[in-house]
Amino acid sequence: MSAIDLSVLTARQVRDGVASGTFSAREVADAAYARIEAVDDDVHAFLELSQDLAYEAADRVDAMRAAGDELPPLAGVPAGIKDNMNLVGTHTTCSSRMLEGYESVYDCTAVRRLIDAGALPIGKCNMDEFAFGSSTENSAFGPTRNPWDLERVPGGSSGGSAACVAAGMTSISLGSDTGGSIRQPGALTGTVALKPTYGRVSRYGVVAFGSSLDQIGPFGKSVDDVALALEAIAGADPMDATSAPEPVGRYTQALDLGAEGLRVGIVRDMLDLEGCAAEVRASVDMAAETFAALGAEVGEVDLPATRHGLAAYYIIGPAEASSNLARFDGIRYGHRVPDAADVIDLYTRSRAEGFGPESIRRIMLGTYALSAGYYDAYYGQAQKARTRIIEDFRAAFERFDVLLTPTTPGVAFHFGEKSDPYTMYLNDVYTIPVNLAGNCAVSVPSGLCSGSGMPIGLQIIADHFAEETLLRAAAAFEEATAFEPVPPLARIPK
Amino acid sequence: MPKDRLTEVLERYEAVIGLEIHTEITASNTKMFCGCPVAFGGEPNTRVCPVCLGLPGALPVPNEAAIEWTVLAGLATECDIALWSQFHRKQYFYPDMPKDYQISQYDLPFCSGGFVDVEVDGDGVGERLDLGGALPFVGPEAVAEDGGYRTRIGITRIHLEEDTGKMVHVGGSEGRIAGATHSLVDFNRAGTPLMELVTEPDIRTPEEARRFAQKLRAIWLALGVSDCNMEEGSMRVDANVSVRLRGSAELGVKSEVKNMNSFKSLHDAIAYEIVRHAEVLDSGGVVVQETRHWDAGAKRTSGLRSKEEAHDYRYFPEPDMVPFTFDPARVAELADRLPELPDARRDRYMADYGLPKRDASLLADDRETGCYFEEAVGLVGDTDARQIANWMLGDLAALLNAEGIAIGQARVTAAMLAELVGLVEDGTISGKQAKEVFAEAARTGDAPGAIVEDRGMRQVSDAGAIEAVVQGVLDAHPDEVATYRGGKTGLLGFFVGQVMREMRGQGNPAVVNEVVRRLLG
Repeated sequence: MSAIDLSVLTARQVRDGVASGTFSAREVADAAYARIEAVDDDVHAFLELSQDLAYEAADRVDAMRAAGDELPPLAGVPAGIKDNMNLVGTHTTCSSRMLEGYESVYDCTAVRRLIDAGALPIGKCNMDEFAFGSSTENSAFGPTRNPWDLERVPGGSSGGSAACVAAGMTSISLGSDTGGSIRQPGALTGTVALKPTYGRVSRYGVVAFGSSLDQIGPFGKSVDDVALALEAIAGADPMDATSAPEPVGRYTQALDLGAEGLRVGIVRDMLDLEGCAAEVRASVDMAAETFAALGAEVGEVDLPATRHGLAAYYIIGPAEASSNLARFDGIRYGHRVPDAADVIDLYTRSRAEGFGPESIRRIMLGTYALSAGYYDAYYGQAQKARTRIIEDFRAAFERFDVLLTPTTPGVAFHFGEKSDPYTMYLNDVYTIPVNLAGNCAVSVPSGLCSGSGMPIGLQIIADHFAEETLLRAAAAFEEATAFEPVPPLARIPK
Repeated sequence: MPKDRLTEVLERYEAVIGLEIHTEITASNTKMFCGCPVAFGGEPNTRVCPVCLGLPGALPVPNEAAIEWTVLAGLATECDIALWSQFHRKQYFYPDMPKDYQISQYDLPFCSGGFVDVEVDGDGVGERLDLGGALPFVGPEAVAEDGGYRTRIGITRIHLEEDTGKMVHVGGSEGRIAGATHSLVDFNRAGTPLMELVTEPDIRTPEEARRFAQKLRAIWLALGVSDCNMEEGSMRVDANVSVRLRGSAELGVKSEVKNMNSFKSLHDAIAYEIVRHAEVLDSGGVVVQETRHWDAGAKRTSGLRSKEEAHDYRYFPEPDMVPFTFDPARVAELADRLPELPDARRDRYMADYGLPKRDASLLADDRETGCYFEEAVGLVGDTDARQIANWMLGDLAALLNAEGIAIGQARVTAAMLAELVGLVEDGTISGKQAKEVFAEAARTGDAPGAIVEDRGMRQVSDAGAIEAVVQGVLDAHPDEVATYRGGKTGLLGFFVGQVMREMRGQGNPAVVNEVVRRLLG
């Protein structure tokens, strides 16, 4: 038992340990739940634990090993699942009163694929309600705390998924990223966090926020771990018409190709944005030096249209969200007032009670933006800005293989620190343009802030479906920096 | 409503009518965005899945076959096919709509700019008062001596969308929402592929509206895209009606009439609305723009609600699907798949078989009827096509009508009808006997030849055998023979009748006639 310290072991080490018989998958599950027992009262990464499913999966893996079968790539690897992904046997609440007690009746494709690859579904992870937020403070069931400093947020919206990996409760986890909801909490918790290309991973079964922006992706402690997870979950899905037919790459095999000859571009105008902490900015320049030292060709590029990214995103995202959240009407499932006078009363009061303030804000923003007479000025303009951002990236990827930016303008902030919505939205200024353009990007730990000791994340961006190049660059950087961030909470188990 | 009231109104007012026709693509075995089966009725909420129930996280995947059917429908009605199009979300809250938006099409429908020519003859001609005299350059074209005319109805667009579920209101009268204590909702129908066709406001009379809808149904049936069952709701016709003083170029305020579940209802509801609008205007009132409900029992329309809510559907492109592109070659390929359409079939029946237009239309308008006809003619030969047509439009039509069944369910199959006509043609039985044989075949499903054998109905044409009977009859009626020979030749029928009775109807009428005449002469 004590041999299994999930705060230290990578997913690959866990899998190899199971495969070699050093420990059983069941013992891995025991270790995960013991760790949760020890630290999750403080962290609150999980909304629900799914022991039945996890031990069922562990027993399958152990039986395969006993039978001498070849084990699948994630055999025995404990995983957290963001609570906006359906999994039969769990509730899917999206951290909302609206879906409190809602039982999943089918499986999200990505979750199903992860489990089919041998992963153990440990539980459902906390999030900002319906993925609206960057701190997990918008959860109706209480915030998640950052394992590096319990007074600080873990980021969001996939804060629970980030925290459960950072605190060593699971090896990997799944999050969803609409404007940075994987990468931003990845940066704030010192984890590796990947948003794949739009269409790379099926969206079937993840509760939709912004359908043209959403993408499921993995968290891990290493680039190799997220590459392993991506190989398991990527690929076309007949249930998602926007999933891409492009063949899935051999991501784990691309990792040791090094950075030599890679064309690396620093996005200078994004780096120079007001509000970016000096130390964060410096970390990107240092990363560029690291790449140069590894033999990469380093240059600079501007993406001028990305300055419209935040504005465009806060039209398109809420517009799609207002439509996607219409179905939560109290008719078929979810929160419903018991004493409605008529159907309009049922709709209005059920929704007013079921949704939290940020959800209501986004629904109203989006409804307004799509209204007759405003569509062209808002949604139409935002789509034009989006097109220009896409063109900027396309031009940049003619010159470069990967681009570098900070993941966030600063490190993890304190609870309540960003109390007005706009300040909070600014935290995603570097991640949002990538969702608008549909590219893939990963946040990798790039150092600790000298003052606070909190982790800083480097965002590496690559072209559509260039995850092999993206992860190759990230792995080269990871190896060169030899930075193994272990949060204090993980280092000192209770 | 008396017909002359409508005519009187139409003398002063011109009606401007457009139709919106929803047709479920029943040819598609599965729903528009999921794999659930498409069928009518069934236990409530048994043909549902996460997608058509709008469960959290479920996504729509478009049914390619339904899109092809829509393109075929567009090609059959002379539409342009969009080489680039997409779905939009039409957003409004209603309990029968699982996602609280309907996946539909907005400014990029699959088909647009088509037309259907309809021909009006018979009673309905009288509703068109502006046909006489100089015809406008573009407009109705006279096609028959009786005033029958052809007019072209433009098709604005045909788009594809998903159908809603069905609400059942409990506790009120007749399932209406007024007075109901609660409502139940059945999602079996939710997500059924639904084509919506919108016409230009080119229709001027209730009869033209009816003819258009009938013609469209015939085209859809020829394609096989839908069963077009108006009572079960797989074809639903709504009408936008307004009137304006003759000579005025300005359009009047329209009302939209729903709930017509037969072609007759469609005609009558539009006629009712025209007169209602005219009466409102005549009394100095203003027509209210509203949706009205046709009550076929009371033969009147009524407003659905006093205050119309102005809907803002907040259309925006459906982000769960990528846009659709068709290359012209694929459209051409689909065009090659178009079957013969009712007008072409009718013209062929007229040319090849010499059928009168009315008969040819009746046979050609329904695909199954046309197939039956052609199968029978194929067995018996082209020269007997008129006989086949007469049987089909006479005894067979009466039978189907009486039993309320489709031609495909008739016990008398095309092969049996062909056999029956053959038996008449080769003189085995008389036309009168054939009617008996038909009735027996319709009752038992037995083959005509077998019936003739069993009943010994074989017609006697042998002149020698007939002569013996005729002689017997003449011998038994010496007085009548004398009267006939005295000049009262009208008694011929009496003798023939007597002979036929003696022969239990099996004498060949032509031979009997000839022999009676000869022996009397």
